[in-house]
Amino acid sequence: MTGDRTPVPAHGSVHVPVTGLRATGSNAPGSNAPGSNAYRPPWRAYRALSSTALKSVLAYRFQFFMALMGNTFLVLTMLYLWRTILASGAQAGFSWPQMKAYLLVSFVANTIVSGLTEWRMAARIRDGMVAIDLTKPIDYQRARFAEAVGFAAFEYFTGTVLVLIALLVFGGVPVPHGLHLLLFAVSIVLVLPLRFSLVYATALLCFWTQNYMGINWARLAITNLMSGALVPLPFFPGWLQLLGKALPFQGMAYTPAMLYLDRFSNRDAVLAVLVQLAWSIALWFGAAAAWRAASRRLTVHGG
Amino acid sequence: MDWVRHLRRNVFLYRRGLGAHIRSTMEYEADFWVLIFASVLMQVVGLVFLWAVFRRIPDINGWAYWDIVMIYAMVFFAEGIGSLFFEGTWRLAWLVNQGELDRYLVRPFSPVLQVMSGEVGVNGLGNIVLGTILIATAAGHVDVRWTLGRVLLAAVLLASAVVIKLSINLATNASAFWLASPFSTFAFAMHSLGDLARYPITIYSLGIRALITAAIPFAFISFFPAAAILHRGPTWWIGLLTPAVAAYCLFVATAIFRRGLRRYDSAGA
Repeated sequence: MTGDRTPVPAHGSVHVPVTGLRATGSNAPGSNAPGSNAYRPPWRAYRALSSTALKSVLAYRFQFFMALMGNTFLVLTMLYLWRTILASGAQAGFSWPQMKAYLLVSFVANTIVSGLTEWRMAARIRDGMVAIDLTKPIDYQRARFAEAVGFAAFEYFTGTVLVLIALLVFGGVPVPHGLHLLLFAVSIVLVLPLRFSLVYATALLCFWTQNYMGINWARLAITNLMSGALVPLPFFPGWLQLLGKALPFQGMAYTPAMLYLDRFSNRDAVLAVLVQLAWSIALWFGAAAAWRAASRRLTVHGG
Repeated sequence: MDWVRHLRRNVFLYRRGLGAHIRSTMEYEADFWVLIFASVLMQVVGLVFLWAVFRRIPDINGWAYWDIVMIYAMVFFAEGIGSLFFEGTWRLAWLVNQGELDRYLVRPFSPVLQVMSGEVGVNGLGNIVLGTILIATAAGHVDVRWTLGRVLLAAVLLASAVVIKLSINLATNASAFWLASPFSTFAFAMHSLGDLARYPITIYSLGIRALITAAIPFAFISFFPAAAILHRGPTWWIGLLTPAVAAYCLFVATAIFRRGLRRYDSAGA
């Protein structure tokens, strides 16, 4: 082990008292500050972060689209593969038009909270710039979420455009009606907080490791498999299906895709969205706990 | 015998370059294990996916489960060699953008070799080990008689496939000389295009087949050599061209790198 990764304040490192800074941010603005009119209402700060994030992704369009290619080639491969497999008839209750819809919905879901949030966070934690984020009187997690919302506006948009192109190439898909359409809409929006909390919590691991790539790969691998983005959960053997149903990943692709396909009964559909919502809330607080643990490890190099 | 001395010197310097990076990587032992674990996990997930699909169907266009495992394993192996010994290629964008390539140009050692040995991807170790195990396992399960000739053919085609993978990495990363971006996003996008060739390419439309066969020959890293080794499909013989494609790719990639290097004018101070 080298010394530069363990927090040793004596050797030119500054230990930032994180908890003090967070207290300022999480309290209601102006409630305890003497110069209360110096504070802006935090929601405006968060909104500014969202719109700055959106502008930055518009400015770096080329990078964004190149990064999107990985996901796009993945869904393209899956579309051709399943078209061939299902040409001879439905499998596990999935016909070709249904599988097409399933893959396209999970593609959009998989595009939300892409590399933008995590690589930026990882880089700032590793080079110590996170210390500057900490001096701002806003909550770190909410600030990152606000940025993720800004990115997501663009991600939902490009995802939808790519789906429309795919529909032109591969032909149409069934469309849900009534209650299921509504539940699908709620579910695809819930993908955002759910994926955000997972990505956020894994990016925090940079407080422990210098190399984020491995963590990113591991998370992508597990998420792609267990969310049903590669193959719908009913294709798995019983025990793996059970595991998938018990974990939060299903809400990141499988739930919205199945709602879109009208594959659940009304009761199960409502239940699926509630499970997704419950996981979103649980992971949000889990991520907050992870932040409290991680920020204690912060080492900032002097220089 | 001048070229022998030349070659020995290059190999010596290359090994010294990699050795230094291996030592610096091993300073971060936790990262080492995280990377190995993650790369193996990624490949295992790919296999679980295949297995889940093949629980339902006997074959995809005449390719059985172990045939496709063989294709996968060849890709793992080629990518593993690329990561472990030639990872520096992926840093080219950064070197060009920051003007750090200057340092390489004043040293009496081939710039392209310096670039390629400029980093070690320890994750390659996991891929090589897993790839080798899977190639051996798949070889025992596929419906093929392993004569000495076929084993030799497999070795030659696998080596050629590795050369093609390395050449594509070099060529796509050399785009940095033109794009001037500090990140190798373009090369990564092309790298993920290669994932299409992990399946029998007969499933794709003609345009995509042409793209991954002729334009960027990813299909010669995995599908075609596997088809030739396993004797699958009416066009299995195309795989026999893999060594020629490898020579061509190596030539084109180094030519692109040289052209790019001529454009290189360092970074503004």
